[in-house]
Amino acid sequence: MTSVFENVLSPAVYFDRNFGIEAAKILPGEYYTTSREMLIVTVLGSCVAACLRDPVTRIGGMNHFMLPETDESLEAITGLPTRYGTFAMEMLINQMLKMGAQRSRIEAKIFGGGKVLHGFTVSDVGARNAEFVRHFLEVENIPVVAEDLLDIYPRKVYFFAQTGRVLVKKLRSVHNNTIIERERDYSARLRYQEPAGDVELFS
Amino acid sequence: MAKRILTVDDSASIRQMVAFALKSAGYEVTEAVDGNAGLTQARSQAFDLVLTDQNMPGMDGLTLIRNLRALPQYEKTPILMLTTEAGDSMKQQGRAVGATGWLVKPFDPQKLLEVTRKVIG
Repeated sequence: MTSVFENVLSPAVYFDRNFGIEAAKILPGEYYTTSREMLIVTVLGSCVAACLRDPVTRIGGMNHFMLPETDESLEAITGLPTRYGTFAMEMLINQMLKMGAQRSRIEAKIFGGGKVLHGFTVSDVGARNAEFVRHFLEVENIPVVAEDLLDIYPRKVYFFAQTGRVLVKKLRSVHNNTIIERERDYSARLRYQEPAGDVELFS
Repeated sequence: MAKRILTVDDSASIRQMVAFALKSAGYEVTEAVDGNAGLTQARSQAFDLVLTDQNMPGMDGLTLIRNLRALPQYEKTPILMLTTEAGDSMKQQGRAVGATGWLVKPFDPQKLLEVTRKVIG
C-alpha cells in the first residue's frame, strides 16, 4: 500500500503571520483534524475539500480529495469512485470521532470542484467531485451549512477549525501551474493504485 | 435458504455498499447503525455472519464483538471487522476479543465476497 490510502496527516504545520495563528497546510489526498485554535489551509483546483466541525466540542477537520478517473458512474454504489470518495470522507470523520466529536452534531462546509484542468479523460472532474461530496453528506445526514463549488477558478480555503469560520480566496490569476500539476500527479496516483485494503483471516 | 448477514456501521454510505455487494450475491442483509443497535439485532434474530466497523458512536466494534462472544448463540459465529483501522495493535485486539478476520477499508466488493464465501459458504 502506498500513501494515498494510508492514514495521512499533514506534517506541514507553520505559524501564519497574516492571521497570527498556527496553521496546517494540506495537499491532495491529505486531511487534518484538530481541537486546538488553528487554521487549516488548502488550495483547490478541481479537487474538493470538506470542512467538518462539531460545534459543541469544537473539533474540526478538513480533507482534500478527488475521485479516481474511471468510466464508472457515481450511480455505481460499489464502483471505484464512490468507494474511494467514501473512504476519503470516512477517514476524516473517524479521526474526529476518535478525538471526541459526535457524529450527529457534525456540520459541513464544502468547497472546490472548479473546472480548472484540461486533458482529463472525464470531461468535468470538478463537477463530479462536487456532486459526490454533496450526495455523500446527504446520505450521511450531515448538514451543509455553507458551500462554494464549481465555477472555473482555483480556490485557497482557510478554515478556522474551532470557530468554523471559512475564508475563500478565488485565484483569478495563477502565476504558475503548481496547483494543476499537483492535482494531475494525485489523479495519476489514484489511477494506478489498488483500491482496496488488506484482508486477514485470523484462523 | 439464504444465509443471513448483519452489517454494523455508523456510515450509511458504507452500509449501502456492503448491503448492495452481498445482496447481489444472494445473501440476506440486515443493517445496524452502531454497536448497540447491532447487539439488539443479533439478540433478536440469528445471523450466520456479522460484519462490523470499529469506530462508531455508543459501542465500538471491539466491544460489540466481546459482547457477542459472551452470548452462547454467537460463540462460534464468524465476525469480521471492516474498518479504516489498519494498525497491527488494533488487529491484535480484534483477534483477542474473538474476531474471525480483519478487512481494511476501502474494501473491494469482490474481496468482501471471497472472504464471506470462505467463512460461511
